[in-house]
Amino acid sequence: MLVLILMWTAIYNSGSGIIKGFSLNEMITYVLVGNIFAAIIRNFLPSGVSRDINSGRLSMFLVKPISYIKYTFMNEIGRVGFITLSTIGTLGIILFFFLDRVVLNTDWRYIVLIICMLFLALIIELLLGFLVGTIAFWTEEVDGVLFSADRIKRFFAGGYFPLSLLPVTLATISTYLPFAYSFFVPAQLYLKKIDLQAGIIGLGIQLVWIVLLSTILSMVWKKGLKRYEATGS
Amino acid sequence: MNIISVKNLVKRYEFYRKQAGLWGTIKSFFYRKKLYSDAVSSISFDITEGEIVGFLGPNGAGKSTTLKMLSGILYPSGGTMSVLGFNPEERQKEFKKQFGIIMGQKDQLVRDLTPMDNFLLFKEFCEVSDADFKQIFDELVSLLDIKDILDVQVRKLSLGQRMKCELVAALIHNPKVLLLDEPTIGLDVVAQKNIRDFIKKYNKLKKTTIMLTSHYMDDIKELCERVIIINHGKIIYDGKLSLLISTYAKDKMIKITATDPIEKIDLEPFGAVEDYQEISASIRVPRERVKEVAAKLISSNLPVDDILIDEMPIDDIIRAIFQDKK
Repeated sequence: MLVLILMWTAIYNSGSGIIKGFSLNEMITYVLVGNIFAAIIRNFLPSGVSRDINSGRLSMFLVKPISYIKYTFMNEIGRVGFITLSTIGTLGIILFFFLDRVVLNTDWRYIVLIICMLFLALIIELLLGFLVGTIAFWTEEVDGVLFSADRIKRFFAGGYFPLSLLPVTLATISTYLPFAYSFFVPAQLYLKKIDLQAGIIGLGIQLVWIVLLSTILSMVWKKGLKRYEATGS
Repeated sequence: MNIISVKNLVKRYEFYRKQAGLWGTIKSFFYRKKLYSDAVSSISFDITEGEIVGFLGPNGAGKSTTLKMLSGILYPSGGTMSVLGFNPEERQKEFKKQFGIIMGQKDQLVRDLTPMDNFLLFKEFCEVSDADFKQIFDELVSLLDIKDILDVQVRKLSLGQRMKCELVAALIHNPKVLLLDEPTIGLDVVAQKNIRDFIKKYNKLKKTTIMLTSHYMDDIKELCERVIIINHGKIIYDGKLSLLISTYAKDKMIKITATDPIEKIDLEPFGAVEDYQEISASIRVPRERVKEVAAKLISSNLPVDDILIDEMPIDDIIRAIFQDKK
């Protein structure tokens, strides 16, 4: 992330002061704030779920009167809590060095909207993470898939560069995908580059995705369990 | 009343064969033939309330697969089953609250927590009331004698101690059916006996229906009146353990003790000599010839002091069955 900030600084220094409507300070804020958002809603479900499936630990949950999906979601939220705190801590230190460059937004309407958006993004990420983890029902070798999925997600989330730098069609498509709401959109809201109304439409898109993803997940989960062979013991 | 009822149960696994080496791997990437094997092929049995049934068979016979289907972990490929009136495939909550399973090679306990915290966690999972929990818990703790390890992290416990805790965790909701998949695996003789005694007492006390697999014949001999023997996915015997002996053991053992050492050669005309130790030996004789041979032994001029006619050891019988049906 520090590399990204330094890279943008170099690019801005060598060229004009504004790229696609972003000043250098805004770009630095985008990277910092976006990464904090991403850290808050991040989860490690794909590797955890696929490990449980491959090792047969899932069996232990199937025989208990609890839902594995709910259990892992709750477990993950608890586990991520600590990691999030430490990540925000380190980001805080970096933030401190760029304090004079960070754009501040104290408009409470934006902040409430961002919090709502991050909460929904958290749920979407959990559903997505779980879905990716279920790949282990079909193949034992999941690391490569998990890695690629992570890259694609980060690209469409705007984690490498603001999505507004993309060709218009691609940028439009990405606003209908769920990924952008984990990084790009809330960061843009923070910078007030998106107005409140567009933000609320974003919440709607997120809700549609939540419904869609939970339906897909319950279908995939049922199909996967049919294939489950409880290996490992 | 039948607690467990299984009819024509089948589990078919898919697998592939791959030729050895890199070239084989590349070839299998483009073309591979799907093969099927039936881990369990059309088995049927019924178990009534309070029974302890031993489920025997060599590795890969389909024991664990059957138990996994009965507990709802695996979907069967065919046939029907009913446990406590439920279909395990549906994985209903009410069903899961009434049965327990222990897999000797897989731990259910969370290793970072103490046994006590684990039990509380399982109590919540199974929605056991505080009063019930206290009563069941006290009972189990005193039966298993684990009071002094309740507050030690599970990862610090020995295998025997851990298995005792696994038992408590699996029984904390007072299940009506208990499936035990090799509960004594890897334990020393004393620990095995402890677990065995506990299972026996618990079954007497609670009338829990128990199905148990084990490779240790002592477990089976002490606990199970009835055994189901399975090999290559098929049931080859289902009935009383005592009856198994008279059905399958074609031979009996004549054990003789002598006053003076006897040469092995002198005994060989009577039957196959096993366990020869100069002044004592066992002779294996076909069942129908036992009386005749015993009489001959006594009337012979060998210095025979005592004669004992015994059934074959059950381990040998079961081994014989497995080899027989291959």
